[in-house]
Amino acid sequence: MTHSLSKSNSLNIDFQNYLSASRRRILASISILLFSFAIIVPGVNAQDDIDGAAIFKKTCTQCHTIGKGKLTGPDLKDAHKRVPQPHEEWMVPWIQNSQAVIKAGDAYAVKIFEEYNKTLMTTNPLSDEEALAVIQYMVEESAKETTTAGAVADNPYEPAPEEEPDNTSDYILLAFGAIFLTLIFILGSVGKSLKRLVAERQGSPEPIELSAIGSLKQWMGSNKRVVAVIIIVLIAYGSKQGWNAMLYLDVQQGYEPEQPIWFSHKVHAGTNGINCVYCHSSAEKGKTAGIPSANVCMNCHKAIKDGTFTGDKEIPKIYAALDYDVEKQTYGENTTPINWIRVHSLADFAYFNHSQHVVVGQVECQTCHGPVEEMHVMRQESMLTMGWCIDCHRKTEVKMEGNEYYTELHAKLVEKHEGEKITVDKMGGIDCARCHY
Amino acid sequence: MPTTKKYFKSPEELENKQEFIDQQQDEFVEKLPIDKFLGDSGLSTSSASRRDFLKFLGFGVGAATLAACEGPVNKAIPYLNKPEEITPGVANWYASTYMNGKDYCPILVKTREGRPIHIEGNKLSPVTNGAVNARVQASVLSLYDSGRLKGPMANGTESTWAAVDKEIGSKLNAIRANGGSVRVLSSSIGSPTTKRAIHEFLGSFNVQNGGDSEEEAASVDTKHIVYDAVSYAGIRTANELSFGKAVVPNYSFDKAKAIVSVGADFLGNWVAPVEFSQQYGLARRVDKGSLAKHIQFESNLSLSGSNADDRYPVKPSQYGAILTGLYNEIAKLMGRPAVPAGKLDGEMMSNVMAAANHLLKNKGAAILVSGSNNTNHQVIANSINELIGSYGNTIDLDNPRLNIQSDDAALAGLIKEMNAGSVSALIIYGTNPSYSLPNASEFNSGLEKVGLTVSFTDRMDETGALVNYICPDHHYLESWNDANSVSGEYSLCQPTIKPLFKTRQAQESLLNWGGNKSEYLSFLKKNWEENVYPNQSKHAFFDSFWNQSLHDGVVTISAKPKEEAGEELTEGEPEESMSNPIVEAATNLSGSESSEGTWELSLYEKIGIGNGEHANNPWLQELPDPVSKVCWDNYITMNPSQMKELNFNTTLGQVQEADVVEISVNGTTIKAPVYPQYGQARGTIGLAVGYGRSGSGKTGDGVGVNAYPLASFADGYISFEPGSVEMSGSKGGYHIATIQTHHTMMGRDPVRETTLEEFSADPKSGNPDTKIPTVDHKMKSPEEINLWQSFPREGHFWNLSIDLTACIGCGACVVGCNSENNVPVVGKDEVRRSREMHWIRIDRYYSSDEEQKPEDDRDLDALEVPSVSGSLSVVFQPIMCQHCNHAPCETVCPVAATTHSNDGLNQMIYNRCVGTKFCLNNCPYKVRRFNWFNYKNDDKFADVNPSQDDWGKMVLNPDVVVRARGVMEKCSMCIQRIQEGKLTAKKGGRKLVDGDIQTACASACPTHAIKFGDVNDETSEMAELKENPRSYYLLGELDTQPSVRYLTKVRNKHKA
Repeated sequence: MTHSLSKSNSLNIDFQNYLSASRRRILASISILLFSFAIIVPGVNAQDDIDGAAIFKKTCTQCHTIGKGKLTGPDLKDAHKRVPQPHEEWMVPWIQNSQAVIKAGDAYAVKIFEEYNKTLMTTNPLSDEEALAVIQYMVEESAKETTTAGAVADNPYEPAPEEEPDNTSDYILLAFGAIFLTLIFILGSVGKSLKRLVAERQGSPEPIELSAIGSLKQWMGSNKRVVAVIIIVLIAYGSKQGWNAMLYLDVQQGYEPEQPIWFSHKVHAGTNGINCVYCHSSAEKGKTAGIPSANVCMNCHKAIKDGTFTGDKEIPKIYAALDYDVEKQTYGENTTPINWIRVHSLADFAYFNHSQHVVVGQVECQTCHGPVEEMHVMRQESMLTMGWCIDCHRKTEVKMEGNEYYTELHAKLVEKHEGEKITVDKMGGIDCARCHY
Repeated sequence: MPTTKKYFKSPEELENKQEFIDQQQDEFVEKLPIDKFLGDSGLSTSSASRRDFLKFLGFGVGAATLAACEGPVNKAIPYLNKPEEITPGVANWYASTYMNGKDYCPILVKTREGRPIHIEGNKLSPVTNGAVNARVQASVLSLYDSGRLKGPMANGTESTWAAVDKEIGSKLNAIRANGGSVRVLSSSIGSPTTKRAIHEFLGSFNVQNGGDSEEEAASVDTKHIVYDAVSYAGIRTANELSFGKAVVPNYSFDKAKAIVSVGADFLGNWVAPVEFSQQYGLARRVDKGSLAKHIQFESNLSLSGSNADDRYPVKPSQYGAILTGLYNEIAKLMGRPAVPAGKLDGEMMSNVMAAANHLLKNKGAAILVSGSNNTNHQVIANSINELIGSYGNTIDLDNPRLNIQSDDAALAGLIKEMNAGSVSALIIYGTNPSYSLPNASEFNSGLEKVGLTVSFTDRMDETGALVNYICPDHHYLESWNDANSVSGEYSLCQPTIKPLFKTRQAQESLLNWGGNKSEYLSFLKKNWEENVYPNQSKHAFFDSFWNQSLHDGVVTISAKPKEEAGEELTEGEPEESMSNPIVEAATNLSGSESSEGTWELSLYEKIGIGNGEHANNPWLQELPDPVSKVCWDNYITMNPSQMKELNFNTTLGQVQEADVVEISVNGTTIKAPVYPQYGQARGTIGLAVGYGRSGSGKTGDGVGVNAYPLASFADGYISFEPGSVEMSGSKGGYHIATIQTHHTMMGRDPVRETTLEEFSADPKSGNPDTKIPTVDHKMKSPEEINLWQSFPREGHFWNLSIDLTACIGCGACVVGCNSENNVPVVGKDEVRRSREMHWIRIDRYYSSDEEQKPEDDRDLDALEVPSVSGSLSVVFQPIMCQHCNHAPCETVCPVAATTHSNDGLNQMIYNRCVGTKFCLNNCPYKVRRFNWFNYKNDDKFADVNPSQDDWGKMVLNPDVVVRARGVMEKCSMCIQRIQEGKLTAKKGGRKLVDGDIQTACASACPTHAIKFGDVNDETSEMAELKENPRSYYLLGELDTQPSVRYLTKVRNKHKA
């Protein structure tokens, strides 16, 4: 009886020891997990393999096809066989800067240049590796059977699902992986501790580990200051990285969703030079720039039924939405709204007014939206964070001339800030409730 | 004078008991149940360990962080065919008209993307001049009431319009063929075209056979009967007796210098409160030198009574005696014969004499109104007005009000007919007699004997539940209509939204059943072309006239000149024509004497709920009654001194319960809580009608008790003063939600007032400069010893100015603010816990001259108003965020969520707030509100918060954030309107003009007590008001330098 009692007491004590030991271990594993996050997460983007197909689609498909006929530039099927050999040596500089090759007087290059009405191929800022990847892709594609001859160019900006993987799922997988690793680690250490406990209870001494981990532990035990410094550095680095990562949470810069209609801003605003506010008319009147209603599209597309790239496929989608009969030129009842995906989305608690910026501030659309006239698919160019807004408000001079609203205020402000630019923030433009109410 | 007066908000504060003081100190009055929680045995036996908890926590945080990494995919769905007039994000305003029985108000409706979201007054109307009241403002919410019927009903089951039309049509045709009697029972109708539609429908029964007259041409007996829950039939009959015109005249309080009211709450609910409030504001502009003296005799402390300069509490049974007393006194002074008069005690007689003198002194600019529905009272009131020269000056008989037509006698006849089984079809429009009739059971039993019963009610109300068919009418914001409520002013009502449900305009249903298949719009246009258009000469074509009228909302047709005959009647032969009805009336009255010792009941309408039709409107339910400051209830009001005599609890707070009283009048018994009301005449009790609904919807049902059955319906008149009451009480048991004890000012002097006499001598009277003692024993102004620097303000500096003299406390600003700023409704239980969310509140202070009893100023009972003393006065003080330029809240926020803007606004940034509530604790004005719950999703608020369903969400203002749980909120001075106004000016390249921007409260104020403007703009009214000698800051000694200034209250009172 007494024996078993003391036994259980000692077990209790051991158990407590075990508890505190395992707690330490868990804490250690959590902190390791956190650091690994901090180190791995920013690294993800850099780890992308060079994807020749992606680069090809992004940079080349506007002018080239592989086996689908000539566009602005030649069909690249079997191009590697046509060019001077070895093809890589000739093609890499050609892809990177064709003008230089022409200027250098390369015979084949000049021939191609002449053949294509002296149309220059745009220079592509690709590294050698990237250019090689593109050539590799081209060679692979050429080997494939030619699809239906004479088919129209593939939609140049149709995003291929496998080419731009969704990073989020990667993050989630990574996180789950980390969680599972931690679990394995914890379970492993629990198992080990239990084994040790059992061993202790049975009276056999703990087997001496002389593994790499064991020696590392030994080293750590004897160099506590170094370990402390390392830990502090890691914590500091991790916090900084974590903080930075948090600042960019939900920042959708570069967001370029697939839209229900393959509408090209480049064709409309760039090539055809249509003024932004022709379609986004409420940018001058209200808070939203507004996605034009389908009847605005019909102003032109009643007559224009085909397009540069994909018009024959996409313009009928407008007709379908409006239930418009092209033959009879009549509108039906069976309409379906077009579900555009919103690209620029400010948080609900931030009030932004387009007309304030476009009409009063005379800000160019491109200042915030980037070179839309060069984008086929609309993407979010700016960060749209509060810091980004405020930064601009601190730098931008208010356009007061000729606006009677500012006459008196201008005089007072000039007096107060002698010699300085009157920027938006000097007249309360960064007060919280200018945007948050 | 402020030093000799004591201000108090409630019996608790007046008595200042320890219990009350303690309650004010604690954040939570009820003890938090910590012991109960810790004592829970489940805690110690729980299997979840601390480590488990940490694991769950870690996983939760990790998962939430990951989930937050990417925003959701938002869709942006544009119009397919965008209407030309709609620009997303830009509001459109449409002129329309609010009409509801006697209520008439030309309005402007603000719509966003095709949804009406806010209502303001139409300033083009010379009748209302842009005034609104709480009910008008709240009516936009009723549009989105999920309790509305979604389609027609046949015998309690859902049906279709085709089926309902067919069945009703065949039944009506059977009546046409076989004869019978058809009755249309409606509320008062101010729309001439609606009247014509009813007329045409009733006419259709005899037209069919009209061709061959030898057949039973007159076999169908048709009649249109008008019944209003609150009746003015007495006034119409009296005018018929006195002048031969059965009308309700038009009153002009703005032209009056002397106003005497006997039981008429003309600022609250009598005849046309919106117009009268606006006129009252004009009559009492002390800075422009006019301050009409207002004397009120009444039993309940009404809104009008609390604004009166002299108010005398009297029993309802004394109204007759007071009126005859007034008549006799004026007649005596004018050398006319007296009439038999009731008895009044000496003190009251001298009050009556003073009032009579006052009226006569302002002959031609005086007005007397009586709130009674008793013909005799009204006949005497007519005679008094005749003597003091009101007709043609302050009262217009020739251009009467056209929207009050209730005829109680005809209604009594109808009920008799129905019970006799002689009515073949009854069509009920805009009224709910099964709820609001004193003898509803009689009506209900009669209803069963009618062959065909149809109601146009928009919901399954008390009457709707008993009829065969419900053909739900559109909400007025979905309808076309017109109004001619006052002679000379026509207005139009246009739809501002597509009908939400499968409803149909009542007029269209009537026309349809009468065989006219045209749309109501074309019928309306035709009527205007025939009857309104010829009366004007500005437009040469009807279309341009119509478009202009639709745009403006109102058309003014020159008023009819005073009829010659009328003038002769008043001037030439007053003795003969006048004496008969007055003598008769006075003789009738002299028989009914008030008996001492019996309790008398006086029913009244509340400012928010009115006659109860809008009981399902949560904004109105949560609007505190201006006088009692109670919401979500009706209750018996009683003088606190008498409550003490009867041992009722007079201290009501969060935890104290009200005693419940059972009252019975003429055999009808109801139970209601009893509430201490200063100013209530001793021996009388008051009770509001409009509560105790059972068919209004989830919000209004079961709130309070139905007081209509206590009214009397005798001699063909519905009376809200039904006579003596028997009463028995029981202890406790009922919680009343009152905001009266919340946010107390802890004994400082928030209101400043003076009398006209003193004010005329010294405009700064009652408003001394604030000085505070410093360490060096000097009195200094607070600015001199300030810690803070002042800000230079180059641009705008927004200010509000609130004139306590003009403020009548009506609460229109509160509802206007709710509507503009998406203020959540929290329900009775939360209000009781001091968690109401209103951004603007109207503090109501009672005050009593302590000088009255100098021998014992500690005798607190003495402060309770003696039965016939006018010493109780009331001050209303609207309080919103004061936007202090040295704001105590800003310095304590740990996360800088509340900061100051360069144009003087105290900004509250919700997305930054973490909810510490430090700011609330540090605010001396207690104007900050904390979001305790997720009101729009929490089940607790399912019945009260309109945002809980999809319909109710449509009323939200898209320019204002809906605040989340756990954040602080408060008045933003309508920053969204400021920003919008500035932007409009900037875009137009013009200077911002004073008046371009109005806050919601300022534009809602019918008396222009609240004004908004840029004090830095030297040309603005605000800059002028800053220099006004009446101007002061609330709690100036704190030197918070508010952006809201108050102007002292001036009373037209001669005794100091």
